[in-house]
Amino acid sequence: MEKSIFTFIEKCVACKGCEIACAVEHSSDKTLFGALADNPRPRQRVRVEAAGAYSYPARCQHCQEAACIAACPMGAMTRDPDTHAVYVDSHKCVGCWMCVMVCPFGGVSADPVAKKAHKCDRCPERTAVGLDPACVAACPTKAMVFATPEEIAELRRQATAAAAAGIATTPVASSVAAWRTMKGGA
Amino acid sequence: MRIVIVGNGPAAVAAAETIRDLDGGCGIVMVSQESVPFYSPCPLAEYVEASVPRAHLFLRPESFYRDLGIETRFGLAATAVDSAARKLTLGSGAAATQLEYDRLLIAAGARAVMPPLPGLADTPGVFALKTLADAEGILARLAQVRRAVVIGSGFIGLEAAQALVRKGVAVTVIEAMGQVLPQMLDAELAALVESRLREHGVDVRTNSAAQAVLGGAAGVAAVKAGGVDIPCELVVCAAGVRPDVAWLAGSGIATAAGVLVDDRMATNLPGIYAAGDIVETNDSLGQRRVIGNWPNAVNGGRIAGLNMMGVERRYRGLDGINVVRIFDLPVSSFGGRDGERSLCRKEGGHMRKLALRNGRIVGGQFYGDVNGTGLYHELMNKGVDVGSFEDELLAPGFGIGRLMPQPPLPLRRAA
Ligand SMILES: Cc1cc2nc3c(=O)[nH]c(=O)nc-3n(C[C@H](O)[C@H](O)[C@H](O)COP(=O)(O)OP(=O)(O)OC[C@H]3O[C@@H](n4cnc5c(N)ncnc54)[C@H](O)[C@@H]3O)c2cc1C
Repeated sequence: MEKSIFTFIEKCVACKGCEIACAVEHSSDKTLFGALADNPRPRQRVRVEAAGAYSYPARCQHCQEAACIAACPMGAMTRDPDTHAVYVDSHKCVGCWMCVMVCPFGGVSADPVAKKAHKCDRCPERTAVGLDPACVAACPTKAMVFATPEEIAELRRQATAAAAAGIATTPVASSVAAWRTMKGGA
Repeated sequence: MRIVIVGNGPAAVAAAETIRDLDGGCGIVMVSQESVPFYSPCPLAEYVEASVPRAHLFLRPESFYRDLGIETRFGLAATAVDSAARKLTLGSGAAATQLEYDRLLIAAGARAVMPPLPGLADTPGVFALKTLADAEGILARLAQVRRAVVIGSGFIGLEAAQALVRKGVAVTVIEAMGQVLPQMLDAELAALVESRLREHGVDVRTNSAAQAVLGGAAGVAAVKAGGVDIPCELVVCAAGVRPDVAWLAGSGIATAAGVLVDDRMATNLPGIYAAGDIVETNDSLGQRRVIGNWPNAVNGGRIAGLNMMGVERRYRGLDGINVVRIFDLPVSSFGGRDGERSLCRKEGGHMRKLALRNGRIVGGQFYGDVNGTGLYHELMNKGVDVGSFEDELLAPGFGIGRLMPQPPLPLRRAA
């Protein structure tokens, strides 16, 4: 299977390095100084959100059955046939915001300046040359990993083994129930 | 096997693509009363205002029907269904023809409501804004238009009003109810929309019901509303849309406001399905409704296509979502406004409201900033009890992160 971005929220320290790296990657010359000079300022497509005791770099999940693609009345929300990433063709987007209405993750936002849908494109220029997406590359704690599901399963096995070797667990926040309901019917 | 699809909108096309994906060999015939290839009606106002080029309305390449091996019967209206003989009638009178089907999909959309007002139906210069032909009719007339009256302040009426303002036309919007966007917003949010429309030069008249269209063979001269004549050279009638089920009378297909379908998009008759704006079925909360929008059409079309080919797939229900831009400012709503309580947050000229019942979100309204609407909508659809984090819902920074499962925190042992 192709690679996608996995998140280990217990490792996120909310440094927001991913947000900056994302904005820089989506700026005109892809440097921090260039990005600061861009007008309008490039906007990041990942947002570090509070997640109970943790924080979570929220972004588009590139869903297999993406609600945003079905909802787009301009044919602007598209899946890349090679990487399977979902991206916005901004020439076709008219900013009607149907995608914002239907994304259950808040993964698409309305860019009030450009008036175009705004979301993670999984950095096609970087991944085409074998690099990780900018947010993943910038994450100092490896809270985000660009990998195949098989590679992730292996990482999780190792993590579980480490946990079994001495780390106990605390009660889980009540919102887990909410998350399960959300995932359950999806 | 021969599949016949009535319609050439998103529901019809989503179904046709799904069916072709599953079966490369079956016959697919698409019937449409319009002669143009599949297009999106959603940007018609933008097409009128010239911010979207005509080519962008067409969402498939010219070779689409050929590539998918779809036979087309365009420019012909379906007029009757004989379900016993499995035949669809096209056209009427001497020109009527019949088309046999093994499975039939009814995806004929909705029709603009044209109220029975004197002069409305037969005065030149009166248009709906529903089809490409309507938009082209408006465009062809624009050169002679200084003033326009828009009847109805639903989202299509307001989109039409903005497009005309941007074309330099003086626009009056008349609305029979006491507020604009009556289906979508409560009075408080509607008042914000009304002032924004007025700031941009739209003459908004609420509690003003259209009584007659005045004029003659040369064209419309005025609209009489609330006892006064409003002079104009163009009328856009945006008094709502409604499924057209009249032609199905006598077919045995069960209808109410729309064609009744179950969660497989199947009608009461074997082999006959329906999808898109024409259906009446359960919404995501289990209430039977007619809710026309693009996502419902595409998702319903897909579900219909799968079930027509024997792949059982159930629809989770229609989504009641709306979004409109008022001179570039986004305004959205979902669900209902009949909560027991409501949460409200006002900030920098924006307003967000959620309606709650039994600890659950039952609807929302957003003015100025619609980001995150999808997450609230999903919380409603899934019936998530938000009681324990209700005060965080509208706070800045609320997002999917708040709902993440919490991995175990490592316990620090006392040294
Ligand atoms: C101006 C405008 C703006 C809109 N903006 C939005 C928006 O921003 N977001 C959104 O979600 N939705 C929007 N909508 C609604 C959206 O376009 C519809 O919900 C959607 O197109 C419905 O799809 P459908 O396939 O059911 O029907 P339609 O797209 O209406 O297609 C119906 C098809 O059936 C054909 N037909 C009808 N009757 C017959 C007959 N008797 N015989 C043969 N053929 C027939 C028609 O020619 C047409 O091809 C907008 C609509 C309009 C008009």
